[in-house]
Amino acid sequence: MALQAIAFYLLAAVTIGAGLLVVTARNPVHSVLFLICAFFSAAGLFVMLGAEFLAMLLVVVYVGAVAVLFLFVVMMLDVDFSALRAGFVRYLPIGGLVALILVVEIVAVSASVASHGAAAGAAVLTPSHDITNAEAIGRVLYTDYVYFFQAAGLVLLVAMIGAIVLTLRHRAGVRRQNIAAQVARTPATGMRIVQIKSGEGLSE
Amino acid sequence: MTIGLAHYLAVAAILFTIGVFGIFVNRKNVIIILMSIELILLAVNINLVSFSVYLHQVVGQIFAMFVLTVAAAEAAVGLAILVTFFRNRGDIAVDDVNMMKG
Amino acid sequence: MDFYGALQVALPEAFLAVSALALLVLGAVTAARGAILVSVLAGVALLVAAVLAAVGPLGTAFSGGLVADNASAFAKVAIYAMSAVAVLLGAGWLERLKARQFEYPVLILLAAIGMGIMASSGDLISLYIGVELQSLALYVLAAFRRDDAKASEAGLKYFVLGALSSGLLLYGASLIYGFAGSVKFVDIAATVHAGAGTGVLFGLVFLICGLAFKVSAAPFHMWTPDVYEGAPTPVVAFFGAAPKLAAMVLFARALADAFSGAADQWRQVVIIIALASMLLGAFAGLVQKNLKRLWAYSSIANVGYALVGLSAGTREGYQSMLVFMVLYMIDVTGFFACLAALNRNGKPMETIDDMAGLMRERPGMALAMTAFAVSAIGFPPFSGFWAKFFVFKAILAAGYVQHALPVGLAVSVAVVGLVSSVVAAFYYLRLIKVMWFDPAPGAVDAAPADAKGIAYAAALFSFPVVMVGLPLLYPLAGVAAAAFGLG
Repeated sequence: MALQAIAFYLLAAVTIGAGLLVVTARNPVHSVLFLICAFFSAAGLFVMLGAEFLAMLLVVVYVGAVAVLFLFVVMMLDVDFSALRAGFVRYLPIGGLVALILVVEIVAVSASVASHGAAAGAAVLTPSHDITNAEAIGRVLYTDYVYFFQAAGLVLLVAMIGAIVLTLRHRAGVRRQNIAAQVARTPATGMRIVQIKSGEGLSE
Repeated sequence: MTIGLAHYLAVAAILFTIGVFGIFVNRKNVIIILMSIELILLAVNINLVSFSVYLHQVVGQIFAMFVLTVAAAEAAVGLAILVTFFRNRGDIAVDDVNMMKG
Repeated sequence: MDFYGALQVALPEAFLAVSALALLVLGAVTAARGAILVSVLAGVALLVAAVLAAVGPLGTAFSGGLVADNASAFAKVAIYAMSAVAVLLGAGWLERLKARQFEYPVLILLAAIGMGIMASSGDLISLYIGVELQSLALYVLAAFRRDDAKASEAGLKYFVLGALSSGLLLYGASLIYGFAGSVKFVDIAATVHAGAGTGVLFGLVFLICGLAFKVSAAPFHMWTPDVYEGAPTPVVAFFGAAPKLAAMVLFARALADAFSGAADQWRQVVIIIALASMLLGAFAGLVQKNLKRLWAYSSIANVGYALVGLSAGTREGYQSMLVFMVLYMIDVTGFFACLAALNRNGKPMETIDDMAGLMRERPGMALAMTAFAVSAIGFPPFSGFWAKFFVFKAILAAGYVQHALPVGLAVSVAVVGLVSSVVAAFYYLRLIKVMWFDPAPGAVDAAPADAKGIAYAAALFSFPVVMVGLPLLYPLAGVAAAAFGLG
């Protein structure tokens, strides 16, 4: 039990600390790295809860794709990030105050949901050993929730179309390899025998 | 001491607040705003997963999976729009409302 | 229900999804040559889906995630038909720009699927996925003219605020799930009836905030004027209409199906949002010079009127909300079709001053715009009058007849609504005055046939077709409203 508590407080502290650094770091590259750190420790929390599959997904999808995408964009855009911090100090006191009030309220509400909601009094989950977390998810994902699964696929399709429509540019004058044309070339079309008169050369 | 549902929810609540706070103080920096939104979604995921575990049902984790999927799609679209904005303006500050007023 | 039966219930969306994929492939193969063909087929697919939604079997499928009832059928027919109009308007627009991009109709199709999911949402997961599918497609459409700085600024603002609102909505949804122990609206309703605790009400407030963002109700309207102004006009014609109806139906469904037990609590919040929207839309509209911004504030005010119908919390209120949204959608699409059609020397006419002398230059267009302005004022017998009439009748009836809310409150909501419509009348009248009496600064270009056709059709609907259509529409909306779980 004590070990569990230590692990929880360690992971929770890292998650929250990294989260705070994401929004306060001066350099956006550092922000992205702290974001990765926050996701990793949140994945640790998921493992503690017994949701290993989600933990894996969080690392693969977020750290592997989303955070890298962020990193890529931050490095691609040549922006003076220090100018964007204007107003940060000005908003800090009032923002901090509002955040403090908000956090107290939301924590109180969460506690009330925990104590009065459907999960009130539930003991810690003892993971059943006959079925793994991934199997439990898989059993319902492709049956009861297949509709959402397909709809989520469409969401990804929209994202793909959107990213291509907005950023892909067909530059004029770029020569691309045309394999069909290359393969279709015969000696007759690919080669020409020219008789060159001596002393005149070939102008083309 | 025992770690219960309320502990996990508290972590989520704090992360959610950090996300909102981040948007409030970094009004000009769209990239940080997008990252703050990711933090909010992470908070939601922690909420969903911990409810799911303590309610002994898997639906919360399914919901969290979809949130994850949509968040990835959202990040892709958001960054694509940001890149077009940057190409047009040479900057990513959203706050200077010099084109649209009223 | 077996899988085959479930597929039948989901047929309109399934059909649209398959069409979207097929058209995407067709567009990729034919590239710019096939753009018109893709648009035509997308329009046909949307109309077929509207028919499928109208005649398809009713029922609940996929463990409660998809609810096909009269309300969803009513909403889907309207949504898909309006989306088809948007495809037509967009095809003509892209053709004139010499930017034949087949992605445009495909994105509208995908957004329409999202709206269909929203309209028949039966749990929190389908609520979220529907909203996101629709919103993501709309973000891209807003920034579709990627070389236009204003369009990409509009897209960015829309995206940032939309993503934030989704986050709030989702946090609310997670609290509701945790409290009720289920994502299904039916189970949530049972829990709320047994006693709504602080947690679930807090979640509900977050959910309402998120949905209010999507319908652009005050005080969550900040994105609307900027996005309306910056985004291309045909895109605005699209997202000023169908997505609003989808979000309103989803709003109604969430409140009625899941939270009927907490009606007294949510009614207060919805009434505050409705009053704020009506007043803000009316007063902020007064200082606008750009017509797209003006109509953005007008849309905020109109969403306020629709929310009045919702806040009545009665079947009649929901019925009036549905009628209001359908009549409003037709007016707003017609108005933006006019704007898309009007150019002077190749430059779009977007400010009120640009409209000077339109009556002499293009009398047909000027008459159509006059019809939309008069309708927006709420002058009888134009459609806008009937829309507002039913809403106010419903809220007063909820006070006097059904005793669903205090009489004083009902009356004061109606009075605020009337006052804000009188204030708003001022800016619509100014537009009419400029069009009819001011001298024209130059010749107006000929209007393209597609936009002109849509504008004239919508204007004719606004009056006199509405007199024939309303006796059909009103009972249909009544049947649809009966499907909401109002008890």
